[in-house]
Amino acid sequence: MNKLYSNKAIIAILVAPGLLMFLFAVLAPICLSVYYSLTDYSGLGSFDMIGMANYQELIKDETFWLSLRNSALLAVGFIVIQHPIAILTAVVLDKLQSKAEGLLRTIYFIPNVISVAIIAYLWRFVFNPNFGLLNNLIKSFGGEGGINWLGSGYAIWSVLIVLIWHGFGWGMLIYYAGVKGIDPALYEAAYLDGCDEKRALWHITLPMMKPVIQVNVTLAIISALKQMETVYLLTRGGPGNESQFMANYLYEQAFRSFRYGYGNAISVVFIIICLLATLIMNRVFRERKA
Amino acid sequence: MNKKKKLTPGRIVLILFLIIVAVVQLFPLVWLINFSFASNTEIFASSSLLIIPEEFKIDNYIKAFTDGNFLHYLFNSLLVNTLAVLIVLGISILSAFACMRMRWKLSGLVRTILLLGMMIPIHATLLPNYIIFDSLKITDTLWALLIPYVAFSLPQGVFLTSGFISSLPYEIEEAAVIDGCGIFRMITRIVTPMLKAPLVTVAIMTYLNNWNEFMMAMTYLRSPTWKTLPFSVLEFTGQYISNYGAQFAVMALTAIPAVVAYIILNKHITKGVALGAVKG
Repeated sequence: MNKLYSNKAIIAILVAPGLLMFLFAVLAPICLSVYYSLTDYSGLGSFDMIGMANYQELIKDETFWLSLRNSALLAVGFIVIQHPIAILTAVVLDKLQSKAEGLLRTIYFIPNVISVAIIAYLWRFVFNPNFGLLNNLIKSFGGEGGINWLGSGYAIWSVLIVLIWHGFGWGMLIYYAGVKGIDPALYEAAYLDGCDEKRALWHITLPMMKPVIQVNVTLAIISALKQMETVYLLTRGGPGNESQFMANYLYEQAFRSFRYGYGNAISVVFIIICLLATLIMNRVFRERKA
Repeated sequence: MNKKKKLTPGRIVLILFLIIVAVVQLFPLVWLINFSFASNTEIFASSSLLIIPEEFKIDNYIKAFTDGNFLHYLFNSLLVNTLAVLIVLGISILSAFACMRMRWKLSGLVRTILLLGMMIPIHATLLPNYIIFDSLKITDTLWALLIPYVAFSLPQGVFLTSGFISSLPYEIEEAAVIDGCGIFRMITRIVTPMLKAPLVTVAIMTYLNNWNEFMMAMTYLRSPTWKTLPFSVLEFTGQYISNYGAQFAVMALTAIPAVVAYIILNKHITKGVALGAVKG
């Protein structure tokens, strides 16, 4: 057993595909990104090395900071709006033990399996000033309607609504699994001791769900940073750069403003920010656990 | 348990809450289907939430089906995603077995490296990969989609399978070794069948992640040869820019395969998401 399990040749063959995949599709592009971030390459023709100039520009770039602020807004939206509703829904769904449990769970998750392309274009129609669902809804409550929800002042909030709506089922399902994983004996004991349901929620359900909540909050922050597709199709970061996000901004810079070098500088910073965010979140939650 | 099933006021409030959430999640989709059967004039005249079309414009769907390249793109999506899933599963099993079972010094380090991909934002590789793929002449081929899809689903695959492998008892493998079983037969015949549960999860997560992807496809593909299902929507809406009914129809149509698959595989997907997400 020992001899067979320490055969170096076999080990090399086993790990080669995974490592090659990582080297070729993850590490190599990152290294290339670092290289191009030091150039003024436009995407075509020749280019010069310009040192850290792209990074110096990035620090002063208002759009970059605006993208970070938008990611922060989205993360707050996820944590303050989406997750509390998701937890509450999961708890209520579990508690009612109704026959419709499976059906409701299915309904909540359906938007998640539908392509971002469809979701984004559907919401472009929902936000449409002429026939959009949102304006018609406002009219049916006696309002004016006719608002351009993807226009200036509204766009970022509309993007947030779509993202919070679209990701809701995912979060709900994870919380639901968490609720289902709590030992029912805990509740029985508490009820015997005269505990009511509200206190059971505060003192049993939420504390028992803490690990799940922590994972979900971490995922929410990371996905708020990584957001791209929905913004790309809904607003392209506009009007102006009001609803810009980092991933979309680097893409626009490289392929629409023909500043490939600068786009790569954003990519590199983008990776660093995501890595930092993951590490910080893990650190924060690990310390709390101890 | 002292759970009452009577309709108390409290219970009604809770049920109402669940229904409101369900309506918010579902109504935009109901609206989508409703408007997909309407004509342009009806859509622009609408001021109520839903409309009853004078005639159900099946024509919208016929246009969407033929001019949206529906079957061609659906086939591409199925092909790319199935290949990606199979490759991810294969590589995950091999890497996980090597890192968790084989005895060598760097096993921990290699596993960490393989998991690192989980933290890298996929869109940060769009620009450099474009240049790499272009210089390798694989833009506009199946590889341009397959490679990044596999690479970015692999970390989760390795994570889930390696977690599961480490919980398997050694005795079975020991017995197999005594019977003269080699490593590769061990992996294919003995270990893989025991990994069914995590492999189903990995397959589902890989499908869910990549089925809806279009940023890579948009960047690395030019011709329609390998384009995937989201392009039915993206291209058709550009082509029928003033025919709103048909645009609604193409969205409803392209949503169908995923929704049907979800309803059929409901239980597995629910379990898969729960398992796949708790990776902390």
